[in-house]
Amino acid sequence: MIFATLEHILTHISFSIISIVITTHLMTFAREIAGLSDLSEKGMIAVFLRITGLLVTRWIYSGHLPLSNLYESLIFLSWGFSLIHMISKIQNHKNFLSSITAPSAILTQGFVTSGLLTEMHQSAILVPALQSHWLIMHVSMMLLSYAALLCGSLLSIALLVITFRKKLDIIFLLIRLFSFGEIQYLNEKRSILQNTSFSFRNYHKYQLTQQLDHWSYRVIGIGFTLLTLGILSGAVWANEAWGSYWNWDPKETWAFITWTISAIYLHTRTNKNLQSANSAIVASIGFLIIWICYFGVNLLGIGLHSYGSFALR
Amino acid sequence: MAKIQSSDDTKRKIRKPISQKIILSGPLDSPEISENVNAKVEIPAIDAQKVEILAKKARNPLWVSLKRVPRRIASVLSNLPLAIGEMATIAGLMALGTVIEQGEAPELYFQKYPEDNPVLGFFTWRWVLYLGFDHMFSSPVFLGMLVLLAASLMACTYTTQVPLVRVARRWSFLTSAESIRKQEVADSLPRASIKDLGVILMGAGYEVFSKGPSLYAFKGMAGRFAPIGVHLAMLLIMAGATLSATGSFRGSVTVPQGLNFVIGDIMGPSGFLSNPMPSFNTEVHVNRFYMDYYESGEVSQFHTDLSLLNLDGKEVMRKTISVNDPLRYDGVTIYQTDWGISALQVSKDTDGPFNLAMAPLKINGDKKLYGTFLPVGDTNSSNVKGISMLARDLQSIVLYDQEGKFAGVRRPSSKLPIDIDGMKIVIEDAIGSTGLELKTDPGVPIVYAGFGALMLTTCISYLSHSQIWALQDGTTVVVGGKTNRGKVEFAGELNRLLDSIPEIVNTKTTPSKTLNSESKDGDSLV
Repeated sequence: MIFATLEHILTHISFSIISIVITTHLMTFAREIAGLSDLSEKGMIAVFLRITGLLVTRWIYSGHLPLSNLYESLIFLSWGFSLIHMISKIQNHKNFLSSITAPSAILTQGFVTSGLLTEMHQSAILVPALQSHWLIMHVSMMLLSYAALLCGSLLSIALLVITFRKKLDIIFLLIRLFSFGEIQYLNEKRSILQNTSFSFRNYHKYQLTQQLDHWSYRVIGIGFTLLTLGILSGAVWANEAWGSYWNWDPKETWAFITWTISAIYLHTRTNKNLQSANSAIVASIGFLIIWICYFGVNLLGIGLHSYGSFALR
Repeated sequence: MAKIQSSDDTKRKIRKPISQKIILSGPLDSPEISENVNAKVEIPAIDAQKVEILAKKARNPLWVSLKRVPRRIASVLSNLPLAIGEMATIAGLMALGTVIEQGEAPELYFQKYPEDNPVLGFFTWRWVLYLGFDHMFSSPVFLGMLVLLAASLMACTYTTQVPLVRVARRWSFLTSAESIRKQEVADSLPRASIKDLGVILMGAGYEVFSKGPSLYAFKGMAGRFAPIGVHLAMLLIMAGATLSATGSFRGSVTVPQGLNFVIGDIMGPSGFLSNPMPSFNTEVHVNRFYMDYYESGEVSQFHTDLSLLNLDGKEVMRKTISVNDPLRYDGVTIYQTDWGISALQVSKDTDGPFNLAMAPLKINGDKKLYGTFLPVGDTNSSNVKGISMLARDLQSIVLYDQEGKFAGVRRPSSKLPIDIDGMKIVIEDAIGSTGLELKTDPGVPIVYAGFGALMLTTCISYLSHSQIWALQDGTTVVVGGKTNRGKVEFAGELNRLLDSIPEIVNTKTTPSKTLNSESKDGDSLV
């Protein structure tokens, strides 16, 4: 009972704090206010600690790693988002990850806390097939990779939005201005630097897209590595529990599709002609596919990975 | 043969007529070799003839173009957009495989994808059945795509990745300040010494080489090699999976507690490489099947105590298996995958105990239900009445009387009699049957090796290969560098490193070659 209350308190506190964080974040995004930005940073740290506390409580309470159903995996996912946030802060890179991770964390946390999944809040007992040491490795790797891949693909979507807007601008400007400016506008850094009159804002935009591109590449790279570890540990586990390392189970298949899409993304990055917008499109497709993989397959409740109705085959 | 020639081409860079090269590799032509071995005396004559024939062939433009075919195929296969297309197609087919029901009877597809009302306007059951999409993951289309992807992997590794690494390994000093400034990240430090830079780079984990006024440093070379490893690991996994698909045996069996079976009897081969093993003669005896329960009554684990007996009936191995803990013996793996209830041991009044076979009852939902029936009175009459017994697990048996009314619940372990219609019924025991799955899979070691390699190489692939060049130009050090992955981090790191280089405060310009610790000390005293 104490655990249940503690858990309840922790979820709601983390949800409220994260709401405050997001508000301050949006305010600082519009205008730099030093105090508020600091507040939102402190808030994220608090959220991270709360969710960690929540997971630990649940772990002690249920006696196994809290990853046995969708509710718990969602909490873990929002923990993954805040972890990425923390890491990027510790590394002290000035980047845009925090504007992605904080809203992602609030959305998942909000979804968890909302009434949608109330019947799942109860910590489920572990069915025989889940009683394995591989559970920790496999599920935590998968969820962390989902968190990283979602962040990376969101950065790419942001990049696409900015590029798309830029293209709209170009069409707009083409009508108004000489074509001279635009050609240079499309050109790279140096020419933009030379084009002094109107390109300071463009240069800023160029830098922004470059940054988004770069960080989405790095984060998806981490996500890909984690996904590889997750899928392979899952395969080894399946070979212990089900008698085959690959069953073409829907969840497995979709994880493999996600992996393939990430691989395509990483390959488009190796080719200079396909960079930026093209790879960003691939990453945005990846965003959809991760959700299908993570959520769609579970909601349909098909296959061996349908948590809850996970009877021994 | 063509491959060898092409590597000769590149290695020796011979620009002479092609006929010469063919003589070099001529003896490798296999039919000729056998002739040579059979009739040694004629070797010179044959060789001369052969050279002539080959020389003719070489002059023939068709032969020349044929000879280039493998390399051309390799270059087509290693084309990046093609590889991306292949991956996208495979992803699409897999997605389709999860959308279309797999392994159903054709009638279902006729019904689901009718011709008069096609899905998306074109997709009918003909597509599904002709292309084999009802068994997507073994359909020729899907397997063909995988083979194509494997070919692309090989071609790309050979034609693109290996040369790239060769280039990366061939490090060199840059001797002109201009070429250093052209690097992705470039900076020039006035009043600095290249030696300090070298020491600082070494401290940051770089391998540093210097020659006169030039410096070259690199870090994370493994990040260049690792993608090759990733590709090779993928190929290894594919090879292992192929072996699994063609060379394994599988079988599943439901055995009541106390009975035996022979491994070989239930194993079926999966492909033409499946070879029976000596361990197939082993007999398996199910000593005991039991379940563990949570306090709430739900099943927590299934256990089967198995004994393996050899041909002489001697026990060679004994193990209690459970889900996630299979038995491995001489290439055969036995998994706990299913369970059932085979019989109830019941005694009525003083008779018995009888073994009543239990039958699985079909109900909605995924929980199991087993039932049996103990007839009472005249069993030959057309209207037999009796006591029904139902069980969901081995823990508790629900009994119903002759009228079908609920009579009570008994645990087999309690031996507590229950009084139904004047009869004393004792449930002595519930005998479970264990569902086992057996397999041999020669591909597993290869696939696991591939898994290990893939995990390691993808992790290493995240490393960036960074290279830094520097040149002492008077008192100024020109530094430039590039990296293949973490470009922003690299720029930040380089800036941080350059910031930590001490500035040499001097009044007069010092020639770069005499810049050493002594002159620095002297300068700082001024």
